Amino acid sequence: MAAKTTAPSTHSRKRAEIVHFVFLTSALFVFWFILSGKTEARYLIIGFVTALAITVAARPLLILPPDQGRPYWLSLWDLPWPRVALYIPWLIWQIIVANIQMAMIILHPKLPVDPKVVQFRKHISHPVGRLALANSITLTPGTITLDLEEDGYTIHCLQGGFAGGVVAEDGEGVMPAKVGAVFGVEPVSTTRQD
Amino acid sequence: MTYLAVFFLVAGFFFILVGTVGVLRLPDFFTRMHAVGKCDTLGMLLCLIGLMIYEGASLVSLKLLYIWVFLLMANPTATHVFCRAALKCGLKPWTRMEGQG
Repeated sequence: MAAKTTAPSTHSRKRAEIVHFVFLTSALFVFWFILSGKTEARYLIIGFVTALAITVAARPLLILPPDQGRPYWLSLWDLPWPRVALYIPWLIWQIIVANIQMAMIILHPKLPVDPKVVQFRKHISHPVGRLALANSITLTPGTITLDLEEDGYTIHCLQGGFAGGVVAEDGEGVMPAKVGAVFGVEPVSTTRQD
Repeated sequence: MTYLAVFFLVAGFFFILVGTVGVLRLPDFFTRMHAVGKCDTLGMLLCLIGLMIYEGASLVSLKLLYIWVFLLMANPTATHVFCRAALKCGLKPWTRMEGQG
């Protein structure tokens, strides 16, 4: 099994690396262009060289600690961008709902808070997915992520009732299920060292 | 256009104000982080949308959009870092029963 998959995975990893290089360099170059707002050739050349240098210098940061025994190569390219694009408007709507609830609790004369700490486990292979889940929980109604260890999330709920959004009585809550469905992709794994 | 910009700015100010009131009123560190983490994020985002509308389609708006995207990721991450640090230091979350005693 391992011998069979080695050749294609080396190939796909190489390709992922090249795609990532082009993607990051062009993203940084666009960033430079927007911030500088200059179109003269010398500024563009300086910007391009800078973008390239940053991409090369940042390369070691993108090799991730192994997940379940496999070392991973992080690339923003292998995210399911169409699903992410659909997810962001939903998240923004959730943020607005969360804020209106928060405003109602804070401005309520009796201050109806009843904090509760809950925990749940959820495995998402892609590290950006894990980040998205933790940040989404923080931004949505009545919950913030206290701790994230491997797959275990510790959530602080402002009211006991808000726990329903992240942990359901049976199975998983809305948020982990949703983020899991959006980011349920395997990042490109590097070949084994042996 | 200006009215729409003013509407977004005022909405943003309202949420930032609510966040501040929350920090003053809520009982402990973690519940205060709820107020800061959520209300400030939306408040800042709404303010930036207001400024972008006021500015119209220009380079400045694009720069504001960059700040917008950055805030959307950085603010909850910072909230999480604070909460995690507090939890690791052994700060116990306040609960209703202890608070009444």
